[in-house]
Amino acid sequence: MKKYIFKRVLISIFTMLAITLVLFILLQLMPGSPFNDEKLTATQKAALNAKYGLDQPLIVQYAKYVFNMFKGDFGVSYNISKNTPISQLIQSRLPISIAIGGMAVALGAIVGLFLGIVAALKHNTFWDTFCTIISVLGVSVPSYVFALGLSYTFGFKLSWLPMLYTQNSPIASSVMPSIALSLFTLASVARFTRTEMMEVLGSDYMLLAESKGVYGGPLIVRHALRNSLIPIVTVLAPLIVDLMTGSLVVEKIFSIPGVGSLLVTAIQSNDYSVVIALSFIYSAMYIGIMLAVDILYGIIDPRIRLAKEGTN
Amino acid sequence: MAKIKKKRLATVSGPEIYKDTYEFQPDDFTLRGDVETTRIDTNFASQNYWLEVRRRFFANKGAFVSLILVIILGLLAAFGPLMTNYSYKEQNLSQKNFAPRVQGLEHFGIFDGDESLKTTTGVKEINGYEEKGLTDTYYWFGSDVLGRDIWTRVWEGTRISLGIALCAAIIDMLIGMSYGLISGYFGGKVDNIMCRIAEIINGIPRLVIVTLLMLVLPRGFITIVFALMITEWIGMSRIARAEMLKLKEQEFVLASRTLGAKHFFIIFSEILPNIIGQIITQLMFCIPTAIFTEAFLSFVGLGIPVPMCSLGSLISDAFNSFTTHPYQIIPPILVLALLMLCFNMLADGLREAFDPKLKEM
Amino acid sequence: MKLTKQIGVIVLALVMVIGLIGCGTKGAETSPAADASAAPVATGGTLNVMVEVEVASLDPQIATDGTSFEVIADFTDGLKQMDADGAAVNALCAEETVSDDGLTYTFKIRDDANWSNGDPVTADDFVFGWQRAVDPANASEYSYMMSDIGQIKNAAEIIAGKKPVTDLGVTAVDEKTLKVELNVPVSYFDSLLYFPTYYPINRAFYEGLATGTFGTSPATVLSNGAFILESYEPATLNFTLKKNPNYYDADKVQLDGLNYQVIKDSQQALMSYQNGDLDIVKLSGDQVDQVKDDPELNVVGAGYLWYLTMNGHDVEALGNANMRLAITNAINRETIVTDVVKDGSVATYTAVPPQFAAGPDGSDFSGDQTKFADVCADDTAKAAEYYAKACDELGQNSFTFELLVEDQTETQNVATVLKEQLEAALPGVTLNIKVEPKKQRVEDIQSGKYEVCLTRWGPDYADPMTYLAMWVTGNSNNYGLWSNADYDAIIADCTTGKYVTDLEGRWNAMYDAAKIVMDEAVIAPIYTKADANMIKSNITGIEFHPVALNRVYKNTVKG
Repeated sequence: MKKYIFKRVLISIFTMLAITLVLFILLQLMPGSPFNDEKLTATQKAALNAKYGLDQPLIVQYAKYVFNMFKGDFGVSYNISKNTPISQLIQSRLPISIAIGGMAVALGAIVGLFLGIVAALKHNTFWDTFCTIISVLGVSVPSYVFALGLSYTFGFKLSWLPMLYTQNSPIASSVMPSIALSLFTLASVARFTRTEMMEVLGSDYMLLAESKGVYGGPLIVRHALRNSLIPIVTVLAPLIVDLMTGSLVVEKIFSIPGVGSLLVTAIQSNDYSVVIALSFIYSAMYIGIMLAVDILYGIIDPRIRLAKEGTN
Repeated sequence: MAKIKKKRLATVSGPEIYKDTYEFQPDDFTLRGDVETTRIDTNFASQNYWLEVRRRFFANKGAFVSLILVIILGLLAAFGPLMTNYSYKEQNLSQKNFAPRVQGLEHFGIFDGDESLKTTTGVKEINGYEEKGLTDTYYWFGSDVLGRDIWTRVWEGTRISLGIALCAAIIDMLIGMSYGLISGYFGGKVDNIMCRIAEIINGIPRLVIVTLLMLVLPRGFITIVFALMITEWIGMSRIARAEMLKLKEQEFVLASRTLGAKHFFIIFSEILPNIIGQIITQLMFCIPTAIFTEAFLSFVGLGIPVPMCSLGSLISDAFNSFTTHPYQIIPPILVLALLMLCFNMLADGLREAFDPKLKEM
Repeated sequence: MKLTKQIGVIVLALVMVIGLIGCGTKGAETSPAADASAAPVATGGTLNVMVEVEVASLDPQIATDGTSFEVIADFTDGLKQMDADGAAVNALCAEETVSDDGLTYTFKIRDDANWSNGDPVTADDFVFGWQRAVDPANASEYSYMMSDIGQIKNAAEIIAGKKPVTDLGVTAVDEKTLKVELNVPVSYFDSLLYFPTYYPINRAFYEGLATGTFGTSPATVLSNGAFILESYEPATLNFTLKKNPNYYDADKVQLDGLNYQVIKDSQQALMSYQNGDLDIVKLSGDQVDQVKDDPELNVVGAGYLWYLTMNGHDVEALGNANMRLAITNAINRETIVTDVVKDGSVATYTAVPPQFAAGPDGSDFSGDQTKFADVCADDTAKAAEYYAKACDELGQNSFTFELLVEDQTETQNVATVLKEQLEAALPGVTLNIKVEPKKQRVEDIQSGKYEVCLTRWGPDYADPMTYLAMWVTGNSNNYGLWSNADYDAIIADCTTGKYVTDLEGRWNAMYDAAKIVMDEAVIAPIYTKADANMIKSNITGIEFHPVALNRVYKNTVKG
């Protein structure tokens, strides 16, 4: 077990290093220097480059860069907020994004599980069809379309919820973005749960349990759900990452001061250092989640660990 | 029957001795029973694998309908732009923001070019066609902010979106499949290293890499395909590798190897045909993902450059005038949703068809 | 069977969703009317303002964009400020004396001008602020406002690192007296003094802060203006200011505060406005159809000139003046502003856009847009003539140019229309559009790696020279690398030569310069940008300016 965890952690670290290298190379390839404006003269540009250490040899820049990144120092923003340390920009924004993302995952997972279970139990009935429709719609329509529809209907027409994020009522203003974000997760979880549950329900041990007289709620919860939950954990991890993608557009629509909207702004205003810093954070979060899931999974189901160790 | 037997005998290359010693007579052997009495195993009939897949696939109505819809959408993408006299980039600024009008239907009060424009000072009923006195002009899906025909643009966009998705998926398939097969086949150190590399690439979130690549490379079709391709092949390679691990110890591989087949031959001629089902299924799942990612890129402003259009860029363009001219955003969203739906259902259907165990559920 | 049913239901559900979207958009008629009538009555109140982008910096010497300038000016006054018409009037300056040779300015600072921490505003605060602007260590992008534009003594040498910052020609004679020395007389010097780069910074306060923290929170800035920063953090999407009770002019300020909201999507902005969450919003052309007849729509000039620059240096065909004239005449600017941009932008036929520079007699430098109509008009017939000549001279009748544009929706739309117009009017010309991020586009045109580019220039100060100085030989913004000795001579005369004191002569000389630019079609002007604002009917007194400070709220009343 220890060996397994050690190996996973080591791989994660290597991945992180590889990512910094990729990010650094891409940063070098970014079109134009970050300081480009009609109003800047050549001498001023040189001064700016010197100020931000962009005139040093690449290898020095890279070493500095990796060291700083892991220290949590992502440099300063050039355009969005001049000379402001990026870590400061992120500090206040990350919690908001995580809160909304968390709400979306929770909502998506719980409702998705529920729908999936209902669909599997009430196989081939109206509920099954209903669940299928939801899950198909969830993966077929981009989240920004949902976001716009929600905002228009509940924010503008009915005025039930604030259309724009306000610091004063963070909960009320997170409802619509969370729903818009959760749809994809919800749909995928529902679909996956349905398949898993049906497989479990048709298995021999369920038949055995049933014949031993276990039925109703305990049968579903103790035997069926438990066994179908394990694989669902694995689909949740990549879904969380898809959520990040969704957050970019949804945050922009609801004017949420989160990292997603910051990334969109950075892309559109060519603030490369911010793009790179956020990419690093997204990657770190992604790798962290994957690592956690891998380890968790190894603990829950020893077969997986053994299988992975075997192939490694 | 006897005739046949004779013929057979002549070709038998058995020991010569029998031919010399015995002379067979036509009535030496008699057929024991006929078709009616022969026991044919109807319970466990052996059937052609592909026939069986096809039967299972067509039995799945959802997948079948999806396939038909995909074909229709594909045909519309190919020929839709030719059905009007407009081209996707031709502008007519005097005919901008016209609501949909269709020949024939206009007499029934729908698709007659009427539009209720919601202004801040109240609803305004307008009909661009009548204002300009155009009796013979028809925009089936309406015209956009620059007076371009939305019908033509939607199908042109579908063409580009599908093109991007297909190219990306096929390249993914080629790279991922070869990578996975080679990695799984050779095992050991090769596998270890190749797995690590794949794992590291997989560790980079695809959103990040796609976005960054779009910033670095010049905008265009090829760049989008490249950006999509660079992360998406991992899933394919995993499946190919897992299948390879399952199959490579089987007898037919051993037999082939014993007969002196080269590695390359075993991988691509012996094993590949056995996993083609899984590969095609995965390919079908790749397509909607690629379509979706392209739509996202367009929304962030990193999509296909003007004057070309994709479904994503059409949606994000029309997004800005959603409350002003809602009819402009509906066709591209509808087509996008239908494509996503159909490809997902199609892939599900294929997976079930290739893997009968799933089917029973 | 069940699957067919499922498909049926799914299709039905899809239809329902579409229907929902469709229904949702119907019946929007009720809310706006209700909003307009239910205007709050209380005076004072907080003005809810929409801005499109985050504040890039609250440091007056570092900020470069309109939003930052607007917010900085909310809580900081300079020596001068803009009145409703854009003229420079005294703010912190109580008395101004100019020496006879026009080279020395002496300003007396108001006695009742105080910082929000109680310190008086001193002459040294100005010296400190201005020195920061030219300090090479700060790499201020607007340092040229001090050197090339303001002609303050030694500014250019300090920026180049050849002299220490203390040599800047600005001295504090006593606590309230500031002396400024110039290299040459600058006729528009007063109008520079309301530009944020010329704002003061409290030296003691600044030096008491940790490095790099100035202007990052309400605690790290001081106010000497009408408002005080109440809540703010870098790149925030929502921040507030409240009225400054100790402002010397506090009696005139009627608002209790300002509430800024960053919204990037113009559609969301309009919906929030209709909901009553915002009092003033800026809309993009897409929304203008919805508000065209609304009395709350206010179109104000934003100053930016969008124009085509043509690389005559590296592209032989574009080096031909007739070719450039053909292109500029082939553009249908009226169509572009009414059908594409739609936000009230004005078709422009002069190298210097209208509505920002008033001459000695008070007339608009480019008020007469037909002045150069013989060389620049929406005239495809004339374009065809020039084109025929160009084809003759070049011995060629098929040309392919690459049109470089940045990745904004509006510029891309304009570019697609330009492509159609030019290709239709000039048979044989093919225009390929190349879309790039803005930074890349700017880099490419500055280094001459382009053929034709749609670019823009906003005025820095209220004088035509802010445009004309661009086309001088060797200027980094002379993207076409065009060079004309006569032109260079006129500009030199106007900036440092014989016309520096002769305002009338300078004005006429600038006309001559503009004529050369137009005759040679160095650029093809297209339109001058305007902002389509929606302002609630109970709001009055927001002052709009195309130069420096786009919006001023000091005299705003919320009825």
